[in-house]
Amino acid sequence: MWTFIIRRLMQSVIVIVGVTLITFTALQMSGDPTYLYVSERATAQEIQRTREALGFDKPLPEQYLSFLGKLAHGDFGNSLSYKRPALEAVLEALPATIELTLFAMILAVVVAIPLGVLASLNRGSAVDGSIMTVGMLGQSIPSFWLGIMMIMFFGLQLRILPISGHVPFIMPLLQGDFAQAFTNLPMTIYYLIMPGFAVGFYSISRNARLVRSSMLEVLEQDYVRTARAKGISEWAVVIRHALRNAWLPVVTLIGLEFGFLIGGVVVVEMVFSWPGIGRLVFNAINQRDIPVVQASVVVLAVVFIVLNLIVDLVYARIDPRVKL
Amino acid sequence: MEAIKRLTIASALVLAPLAAQAAPPDDTIVLGISSDASSFDPDQIASRDNANIAKHIFATLFTVNFEGEIKPYLVDKTEVSEDGLAYTFTIKPGLTCEDGEPLTAEDVAYSFNRPLDKSKNFTGNSAGFVLPTLGLKSAEALDDLHVKINLTAKTTLALGMLSQIYVHCKDSYEKMTADEAAIHPIASGSYRLAKWDRGSQLVLEKIKDPGNFKTIIWRVIPEASTRTAELIAGNVDIITNVAPDQIGAIDSSGTASVAKVSGTRRMQVGFNLSDAAKDMPGGKEIQDPKVRFAMQYAVDVPGICKQLLGTECTRASSLVNPPNDNPDLTPIPYDPDMAEKLLDEAGYPRGADGVRFHIKLQGPRGRYLEDANVVQAIGQYLSDVGIQTDVELLEWASVYSPLLREKKMAPLFFLGQGGVTWNPLYDMSLFSTPDATTNYQSWNDPRWFADWKLALNANTVEEARPVINRMLKLFYEEGPWLQLYFQPDFYGVSKRVDWQPRRDEEIDLFEAKLASQQ
Repeated sequence: MWTFIIRRLMQSVIVIVGVTLITFTALQMSGDPTYLYVSERATAQEIQRTREALGFDKPLPEQYLSFLGKLAHGDFGNSLSYKRPALEAVLEALPATIELTLFAMILAVVVAIPLGVLASLNRGSAVDGSIMTVGMLGQSIPSFWLGIMMIMFFGLQLRILPISGHVPFIMPLLQGDFAQAFTNLPMTIYYLIMPGFAVGFYSISRNARLVRSSMLEVLEQDYVRTARAKGISEWAVVIRHALRNAWLPVVTLIGLEFGFLIGGVVVVEMVFSWPGIGRLVFNAINQRDIPVVQASVVVLAVVFIVLNLIVDLVYARIDPRVKL
Repeated sequence: MEAIKRLTIASALVLAPLAAQAAPPDDTIVLGISSDASSFDPDQIASRDNANIAKHIFATLFTVNFEGEIKPYLVDKTEVSEDGLAYTFTIKPGLTCEDGEPLTAEDVAYSFNRPLDKSKNFTGNSAGFVLPTLGLKSAEALDDLHVKINLTAKTTLALGMLSQIYVHCKDSYEKMTADEAAIHPIASGSYRLAKWDRGSQLVLEKIKDPGNFKTIIWRVIPEASTRTAELIAGNVDIITNVAPDQIGAIDSSGTASVAKVSGTRRMQVGFNLSDAAKDMPGGKEIQDPKVRFAMQYAVDVPGICKQLLGTECTRASSLVNPPNDNPDLTPIPYDPDMAEKLLDEAGYPRGADGVRFHIKLQGPRGRYLEDANVVQAIGQYLSDVGIQTDVELLEWASVYSPLLREKKMAPLFFLGQGGVTWNPLYDMSLFSTPDATTNYQSWNDPRWFADWKLALNANTVEEARPVINRMLKLFYEEGPWLQLYFQPDFYGVSKRVDWQPRRDEEIDLFEAKLASQQ
């Protein structure tokens, strides 16, 4: 297993370098960002001075190699917009996104699995039809539209949920302020309900459909029939025999879900004014803040790589047929 | 169904008290803005949103009031040398910064000299625009209360430009690193930065007058419809950049209304008169001032404002903001017949296909209010009078802005340029020389530039007025702009507060108060 982990980590370095190269090239292809950082009335000399101050006067290969050299020391340079280390800005925004993504993921599991099981056990019934219709809606409705509709209904009409904003939980935890973190927790969850659902609705729907089809397949297996013939209760058959085997494809998906959800939070973070990495990247791209975009992409790539690795390890653990 | 209903009602009862907590207390005003501040280092501040917050933290020598008049802020007395190259200010006694350090003339001089330090690589508005425009040579403290500002050239813009430099205490700032200065401003003005939750909100606390509210909260809400919802729900008092399609919802909410103001941003279609543009379709034709003047009649500007921007507007008659413009000039009406007649007379009749000539019109997408729709409407108006217009919409940051700065635009391009209410020469300085950075149109009429020198040499704006009016008449008849409108700005304002928006996009909360205090 250790050989596998080491091999994967070495591959990861290549992936990260590749990711930085693609991002750097894409950003450079869209032109000189200096103009975004000077006044409309700046003279040619002032523009050149700013270009030099920002380091855009050097040849592109030199800029990239200089970036890689600093990256080796964990230095992404200073954010052009925020005038402080880019990595610091990204790591500051990451906890808010993790809160949102985790909450959405919990919803995607806790809500989707019972729904999928319920639909499979009532195949062809009105319950199955209703769950699958909601599932189809969930995969069709854009998250930003759902977010705005929820704001209008729960935030503005019923006034039972906050329209926008964020109360941190992970950040005080990381700062060692446990009392503050747990004091915040109820409000953190309160503020998470709408954005979390907007982010997670697609996954809830997809997972429910997946659990349903996986369950239907397993429920037809001989060992399930045998278990029923032995007189085991239906509850035990479903939970202990069927769901455990139907679980494997779902675990794979859930493992990758986190990465998928992080990629999908950008719009929702904008709609709900959530101060996370998605919004940071969106603004950084608009502002052509190359250090922040690079730092965000690398941090997200690392998150993806680690998650993939964990999924592979967990998969090997729960399915004895898989050898690493 | 009954269970769901009971659950909803129960949730509402549990959660309603939490929601109610969001309403601001009486000593607090809450603003919803579209983007966070970047830095509070006085010499790194560049964006309007950032500057709007900073002006409540840092004092300035002068301030431009609601009416566009320049008024003293930290200054008691002003003396100007005979040649107009030296300004000596007596500052008010007993001033201090947030940390208790006395604010003296030395600090004022430091505030002007600090942005000039090239080793610090400042990219804010002070170093990049204000001081070069002011022509600052040096600043020196004569004693604790007297500071002398030396300029390289005489200018009537001096006091207005001085009002944009944030005064800050030397000893406090010399102790700080660049990173500390960015996040821990030491206030010299009415409010101090009490809390900054990046991406979420900034909290300012009042430390001295002026200012009616003890606390100002700037909430960062990037999405326009979310800002509107927060305003209607009563969680914020003022929101910026209201989208025209949300005006009705706010006005009918009963809790807030939309305050419309004709801004100082001058919207125009620029005529690219550069040599490079002459070879493009339509580039040669627009070199003729008669063609340019004829095209003014082809566009229904009030119609564009009403239909696309959701407000009434008066067409601009020059590049100068009212009331500093030439009062003798009346806005050119929408008269397509006149446009066709003048184009015929200019020697560009319709061809067999009904087309006089082809031309390209470029515009940004998402930079200005309803820009893409406005550009397409203008393209259609021009096509209607036989100028077959090919509209091209481009992304602002990566494509449009670089093309503009490098003066590589199509023969026609849509643009908005910021202006002021306190001096016509500031607005006119876009065309200070034929190759000025802001002369995107490459206009080089020698009559304009000869008069510009005369206007600059005047001791006061009033003295320069005859020259200014002559220049504006030339601009009206032969200028490089297809005149449009001053961009309207829409602010959502809660009925809880009494606040008036300014024309210059600045947000001034010093005079804001609770409506119940009237």
